[in-house]
Amino acid sequence: MALKGLDIFKLSPKKNCKECGCPTCMAFCMKVAQGSMSIDKCPYFSEEAKAKLNESTAPLMKTITVGSHKLGGETVLFRHEKTLVNKNLFAVCLCTDCSGEKVEKKLADLQKIDYERIGERMYVEFIYVSNKQSDPEVYANLVKKAAATGRSLVLACRDAECARAALEVAGKNVILDGATPDNWEEMNGIATGAGVALGVWAPNLSELYDTVRKLEGKGNKNLVLDVTADTAKQTLENAVLTRRTAIKDGDRTFGYPSIVNVAKIAKHNPYLQTALASMFIEKYGSIICMSKMSYAQALPLYGLRQNIFTDPQKPMKVETGIYPINGADENSPCALTVDFALTYFLVSGELERSGQPVNLIITDASGMSVLTAWAAGKFSATTVQKTFEDLDVANKIKNRTLIIPGKVAVMKGEIQEKLPDWNVVVGPQEAVQLPKYIKNKDYEASVKAAEAQRAIQTGEAEGEQKELTFQELLDKKVPRIEIRDMGVSYKPRNPESKNFVVIGERIHCIAPSIHRAMDERDPGPILERAAQQIKAGATYLDVNIGPAEKDGPERMMWAVKLLQENFNNVPLALDTANRRAIEAGIRVYNRTNGKPIVNSADAGSRIEFIDLAAANDAICIALCSADGIARDNEERMAHCDALLERGLSLGMTSDDLWFDPLFLVVKGMQDKQMEVLEAIKMFSDKGLKSTGGLSNNSNGAPKEVRPVMDSALIAMAMMQGLTSAIVNPNDRRLMETIKSCDIFKNNTLYSDSYLEV
Amino acid sequence: MAFTPKTAPYSGRIHAVTLGTGDKAITIGGQNVLPFYTFDAAIEHAPKIGVEISDAAENWTVPGLAEFYAGCTTMAQRAKKAETLEGVDFVCLNFESADPNGAGRSVAACVADARAVAESCTLPLVILGSRNVEKDGQLFAALAEALQGKNVLIMSAKNENYKTVGASVALAYGQKVGAETADDINLAKQLNIMLKGMSVKPESIVMDIGTAAVGYGYEYAASTFDRIRLAALQQGDSDLQMPILAVASLDAWSVKESTATEEDEPAWGSLEERAIHMEVATAAADLTGGADAVVMRHPKAIAAVKQFITELV
Repeated sequence: MALKGLDIFKLSPKKNCKECGCPTCMAFCMKVAQGSMSIDKCPYFSEEAKAKLNESTAPLMKTITVGSHKLGGETVLFRHEKTLVNKNLFAVCLCTDCSGEKVEKKLADLQKIDYERIGERMYVEFIYVSNKQSDPEVYANLVKKAAATGRSLVLACRDAECARAALEVAGKNVILDGATPDNWEEMNGIATGAGVALGVWAPNLSELYDTVRKLEGKGNKNLVLDVTADTAKQTLENAVLTRRTAIKDGDRTFGYPSIVNVAKIAKHNPYLQTALASMFIEKYGSIICMSKMSYAQALPLYGLRQNIFTDPQKPMKVETGIYPINGADENSPCALTVDFALTYFLVSGELERSGQPVNLIITDASGMSVLTAWAAGKFSATTVQKTFEDLDVANKIKNRTLIIPGKVAVMKGEIQEKLPDWNVVVGPQEAVQLPKYIKNKDYEASVKAAEAQRAIQTGEAEGEQKELTFQELLDKKVPRIEIRDMGVSYKPRNPESKNFVVIGERIHCIAPSIHRAMDERDPGPILERAAQQIKAGATYLDVNIGPAEKDGPERMMWAVKLLQENFNNVPLALDTANRRAIEAGIRVYNRTNGKPIVNSADAGSRIEFIDLAAANDAICIALCSADGIARDNEERMAHCDALLERGLSLGMTSDDLWFDPLFLVVKGMQDKQMEVLEAIKMFSDKGLKSTGGLSNNSNGAPKEVRPVMDSALIAMAMMQGLTSAIVNPNDRRLMETIKSCDIFKNNTLYSDSYLEV
Repeated sequence: MAFTPKTAPYSGRIHAVTLGTGDKAITIGGQNVLPFYTFDAAIEHAPKIGVEISDAAENWTVPGLAEFYAGCTTMAQRAKKAETLEGVDFVCLNFESADPNGAGRSVAACVADARAVAESCTLPLVILGSRNVEKDGQLFAALAEALQGKNVLIMSAKNENYKTVGASVALAYGQKVGAETADDINLAKQLNIMLKGMSVKPESIVMDIGTAAVGYGYEYAASTFDRIRLAALQQGDSDLQMPILAVASLDAWSVKESTATEEDEPAWGSLEERAIHMEVATAAADLTGGADAVVMRHPKAIAAVKQFITELV
């Protein structure tokens, strides 16, 4: 848990000696709280105070390790608050009262449950071996059989002699679930002697609390709480209250993982066990013990567990591959979609419903949905081509029909080009329309058309394989630039100015009119949007040409020349996943009014965009995420450091790296907004510049609300030190807010007509 | 130092909504604590279970269901039979065949079925529509009129049709109205605000916040449940204090685990057993998240979930 600067200050020597380099003890404590300085920099902090600090910065819930399994370590009560860390593990119960035959059958049965679901092995991790007799040999024999399966064990045994005998044959991956308020001292000796975790049980929470304290007093913090009571109701109460006491109230005495014996509270009813286990998956059972585990139980329970323990910020991905549906074979048509698990389930479900054999091809898109992946350049003709090569689809499947999602109909041409032997056809927009589409074989007509088209193209394409140089492209493929009087001229910005940098976002391929204009090299719509933005006060214009895999370089060169020649060399941000297109754009770029901006690099697959910026003396927007949104500011700042280091090592100055915290949408990530703002402050404290697609915050909000939200957020962000944003300059409220903030920040001298200047 | 747990109810409270009439009427909601947190405060109205009666029930071929409803040919006969089940609190009529893109049954035929059920059954009724926004507008108005005075719950008004559905169901005929969204807390709040803005009383609204079968993106449902309940109770957000109904059966019976045949998946064992556990797990997860009522299908699953609720409240 994060400790506040003031809490640390209370423990500090308060000498203000400046030996740590900070002007005051208070300043030093603030830096320690932020993690930017170590407490050891202060020579006068007492050992006692340091110990106290260490204790209060220790996690609220311990992580207990049993073999390769981790239990506990949770930091929140609900998954949406951050993420749940260590999934529940399941146990099947064995008991000394079971007949030898029953034991054999149970052990054999539990080992039958072993399968993979979305990259995760699903099996019974633990065997809960319950001692109901007083004969050490009987118990040890049973434990030996259980241990022979190689699974980890919970030894439910309160008899010291039996426990000793069992531990001798049980191996190391064991929890001795045997301490009670009466026997804790002896059991503690046995567990610590054997080096295994100790399970603690008591008839009520008060006694459980006291017993844990006594064990901790003896130095044992390798504990697990057995919260099982006589009834389901009492067991839920124990599970919730122990967890809540630790995580919400900060009392670490209950900061241990739990054991819930569902078999005991649900008696012999397997359906009731499934119901209770479902509840304890969500409500804080670390190890859940069942009488047995059948496939009928494992499928829903493990599925639920996999869902609940998914990191809310890291989407579930399915493996890239060919998934035959309804008995599809090499002669069945192929349908393509992305690896986002939810998309996969939807699409495969609907394809199954069609009753027709189809090969579903899942391509790597970093676990994003179709449109998001496309916009981020993670789902493109190149990634599809790579998937087809990696999977060797062409040799595995003879049918040449490839149905692509309707939402990315724009990719059809590019995919067709990369996969020339296939007939690429555009499927429906939504998965629910698939059954009808497939059943009616709606794709057949398109396949015929694609075949015909292909025949013509193969004729044309011959002999046109050589990649042209930028100069050749410029000469041959970039149309002559037409100069039109748009009634505005770009006013150069003073390079020394501290004013906020507005990067106009309106020239974006996602707008159909711009997309068409780019395709047809029609200057009209692009010049119009540029003129509006310049007039409204944009400092830079962003030029998003889309993934543009086919003709990226000539497309970007044309756009750069068009805008700069028409508008007094307006400075531009070159925005595409196509690196060669950015290079080409920079080649024709005029720097009179500012360096070009490369939009953007990230700490993942796009880190090399920094190299591109460095090699071309450009500014680079550095997105502080790798694959997916950063989990927290610790991760954001780690990405920031990695990007900064790379840029500096390539000779860039820190002023040319503009860090983007990744603004998040309020509808969906309302509780993460303050974290983004805090990240901006951290950039600013390091002396770094920052920018980002701020308007993303209000995505999906009504038109009349967006300017209100955007301008409120930009004021907060500028307060935190944001130096630039990629926004819509035509939003008057937003622009007026920015100008006003520049006044308050003393970036511009006030005059009564500052809004008009 | 003795341990004293910190337990307390929240300041916010879920509206208590009554369905049906007479001594079989039920009340859902009303609590000011998280689901089954009886240690924070007593839960007056235990969550309720409804049994799904579909107008396409001839497709229910698993032996247990076929046997239970053997001899029943109409919705009314099935509903009558379902009422005899232990643990059933209400009957949920699913008019899925009304979908114009499916069987396209007429509004009049659906109304006749609903009337027949209402005449022979005593338990409160909940209505599920065709999921076709346009058809449901007509269907719901006709059903709300035909069942006047029965105090039924009609699921649901959506963002696309809340004006017509809210006006006919709740305002004109005084029934309870569902507000349906799909795993979107912001839209769930907005829809309630819009319905309240039309003068629909908060005590007449029940939410369907969108669920899934466990294993199938259930994390979205789980977090939507958690966030809606915390907003309603902890932040006292009066636009989210409506009780929640979850239709567990539809999701649970449509996934691979509950539809793949034993020939296709020999290792998995009995299809019926798989479907029952799938339905039990899904309903239990819905209740753990905050559903005040669940709709279920299989008698064995209903019995288990009833026992689950009884043990916890």
